[in-house]
Amino acid sequence: MLGFALSLIATLLHAAFIFAAAPLLMGLVGKIRAWALGRRGAPVWQPYLLLYKLLRKSTLVPETATELFAVWPVAAFLAISLAALLVPSFCTGMLTADLSDFITLIGLFALARAATVLGGLETGFGFGGAGAGREILFSIFAEAALLVVLLGFVLLAHGATVDGIAVAFATQHIGISVSLGFALAALLAVALTETGRIPTDNPSGHLELAMVHEAMVLEYSGRFLLLFEYAAMLRLLLWMDLIGTIFLPFFMARADDVLSWPLGLLCWVVKLGLMVVILSLFEISTAKMRVFRVPEFLGASMLLGFLAGVFLFVAARIGL
Amino acid sequence: MVGLPGQGMHLQLDALSLLFLGLLAPQIVASAVAGMRGSVTFWAFVLGMVLALAAADAFTLIFGFELMSAASWLLVLRGDARPATFYVTMAVFSGACLIPAVFLPASSVAFLLILLGAGAKAGLAPLHSWLPKAHPAPPAGVSALMSGGMVKVALYVLIRYAFIILAPAQQPWWGVVLIVAGLGSVLIGALRAMLELELKTVLACSTVEHVGLIAVGLGVALRAKAMGDPILAGLALQAALLCAVAHGLFKPLLFLGAGEVKHAVGTSSLNWLGGLMRGMPRLGGLMLLGAAGMAALPLGPGFAPEFLLLHAVIGAAATGGILARIGFTASLALLGLGAALALGAAVRLIGIGFLGRPRTLQAAAAEDIGRGPLFAMGLLAVLMLPVALLPGLVLQLLTPVVMELAPAAQTPPLAYVPVPLLLLGFLVLAAAGFVLQRWGVRGTRAAPSWNGGFGAPPPWLPFGDPLTQPSATGFAEPVARAIGQGLLTRDMADPAEEWVVAPLLRVHLKGVRLAERIRRATIRERLAFVFVALVLFLLALGLGEGG
Repeated sequence: MLGFALSLIATLLHAAFIFAAAPLLMGLVGKIRAWALGRRGAPVWQPYLLLYKLLRKSTLVPETATELFAVWPVAAFLAISLAALLVPSFCTGMLTADLSDFITLIGLFALARAATVLGGLETGFGFGGAGAGREILFSIFAEAALLVVLLGFVLLAHGATVDGIAVAFATQHIGISVSLGFALAALLAVALTETGRIPTDNPSGHLELAMVHEAMVLEYSGRFLLLFEYAAMLRLLLWMDLIGTIFLPFFMARADDVLSWPLGLLCWVVKLGLMVVILSLFEISTAKMRVFRVPEFLGASMLLGFLAGVFLFVAARIGL
Repeated sequence: MVGLPGQGMHLQLDALSLLFLGLLAPQIVASAVAGMRGSVTFWAFVLGMVLALAAADAFTLIFGFELMSAASWLLVLRGDARPATFYVTMAVFSGACLIPAVFLPASSVAFLLILLGAGAKAGLAPLHSWLPKAHPAPPAGVSALMSGGMVKVALYVLIRYAFIILAPAQQPWWGVVLIVAGLGSVLIGALRAMLELELKTVLACSTVEHVGLIAVGLGVALRAKAMGDPILAGLALQAALLCAVAHGLFKPLLFLGAGEVKHAVGTSSLNWLGGLMRGMPRLGGLMLLGAAGMAALPLGPGFAPEFLLLHAVIGAAATGGILARIGFTASLALLGLGAALALGAAVRLIGIGFLGRPRTLQAAAAEDIGRGPLFAMGLLAVLMLPVALLPGLVLQLLTPVVMELAPAAQTPPLAYVPVPLLLLGFLVLAAAGFVLQRWGVRGTRAAPSWNGGFGAPPPWLPFGDPLTQPSATGFAEPVARAIGQGLLTRDMADPAEEWVVAPLLRVHLKGVRLAERIRRATIRERLAFVFVALVLFLLALGLGEGG
């Protein structure tokens, strides 16, 4: 009973933290990018102001849109929120632990993608359609890469839930292996694509022809745009949580052990800060690539994931 | 009594045939309600399928199977004569493989013949290229039953023989053959579904993909059963059977909807549709449900089978020899490609056909569906709900079938549970709705689209210039460029046409020429032939006597 109550509280805390911290993360990335480029940059709470502004603005619906115009932002937000709730942040063993199967997560990403793409096609104007077609192209390789990477985790952790993988990686002696390095590289490439960061897409781009994610939400405004923007922020946090949980599961708290929570929270903040800095520095040191280079980029990550699996098989064969 | 002399026909229902009959029943009702109930050929088609499923002896099975083929050929012929010849050729081929196979003793040869015969009928690569041509030809009700039902009957024959009748001779490599054929179907089917323009052809290509998914599941199960891995066999069988159930519901729904689109707009080419959600909201909503199943989205009917299948393939990659494990890793990547392509195809179907602006006046003026088709599609949509939301329960119903196919199999409970996920979603939505209602500015205002700052369209184009709207071709162009050019032939046709059908046609042409040459032989040639044959015969006889 106590265990259930504790894990309920942990789950609620997790939900509160991710929904509160997602805009901050986006603001931090922008701030550090600006600093590294020698500019002052917007304040870190700028995304909160953006969300509030969108909340208070009137919502326009294009005349050529159908009745389902309002459905897509809600569906995209819902799918990303569910995924964010399933991925552990500071502790393992939450109430959502059993639901957090990696394939369910991949499915939720697909649901969010489908909703965004349909939102892009909704009004029937050129930019949305162009962005939607490109998004589908990227997703094909991203999903394959994600599945192959997942295989490596399942082989090492003997379980497919993100929670189980985190527990296994934190408690078992896995050691630093070449496979995990390859898997990390592959997962990072997929993460950059899914969250629409440089080098596959530019979140602060203002040229419609070069946009992918932004092009699909061009016709949205007010509360609907708020949902899309918030979903994008949650998505960034979610991917950082995912990578942090799997590759840096150190000092993660257990939900039924309340004394371990402060350290878990502290480590979560440190992990996120580290990843924010790395992401910002990476983004200013590379350029966005051409659209038709992205499949090669993701194809390479798929091959890396494949190699990770093959190395694991070889290691199992020769008894390492 | 009809049937083989002295034996008659025998019918018998077991768990497997009951499952497939149960799968067929709602489709038959839906197709009949949607406008096919007056056609005698249609009922002959249905009778053939039911006979094949309920057969207890090989003769009845073949009789039902061939009745089904012949009736569906007539129905295809009435819709469109062009693909009918190709279709009947494939049907004859599959009959020619099945008839000897069912009378052979349990052996690998029998399995290969069954695989060729049933696989050709089910649209398994590389013998699939007739399916996207023949399935769209007849009226929608028949297309629905062909894609949702006939394909399943072919798979039923495959399952019955591979798992039950030929079980004594089972070999692990049978499964591998099935997996390879299935993966080919998944990839080609999903890719072509993403690239085709005609709505019904898109759906038929998607059927090829789903047949591939089922075949991969069956292959993994067959291999696991032959190698004595009860957990994996159970998991893969669950995946294959649940996929068959889900596909048997959403694909007929989509085909019926495509027929209604054609009826209302006059064409079902995606490049001539657009904005149908405005005029046909009921049809649009039902098609959206079906497309969610086709795309295997979570909380939809197609996700649980995909989930089980991916877990089965991961499970298969976790054990066994190193080559097999590498092979299963590659299969996982291919399944990922196929799943994302299927999502793209489903999104394209809805986004280009039903959202956006109308591309023609007919699309703008389309009227919503009548009561009959609405009932038919609604029935299928309601039946989709338990598969979508309570897949664990449906799997429990499937357990007797799994036990019949692999008696040692274990069926662990499903790890994907949609109901808590749905509850969690409701909580999130309630919270978001509260925030938006409490602090947000309410209501919406209609306004001209921003459209990158372009001006308003001229008054004679109320929906703007259709040419400025992304077309189905344009939407698929990035995929066609990045993947299509590598996998399809130069003019974006199916590789099976070039590598399988074209060589067979050449052989056929040579055979015809040879036969014609023999028919036209002069009297001298014939006499010479008879003389040479006589000499050779005597020579052989003499050598035989002397030696």
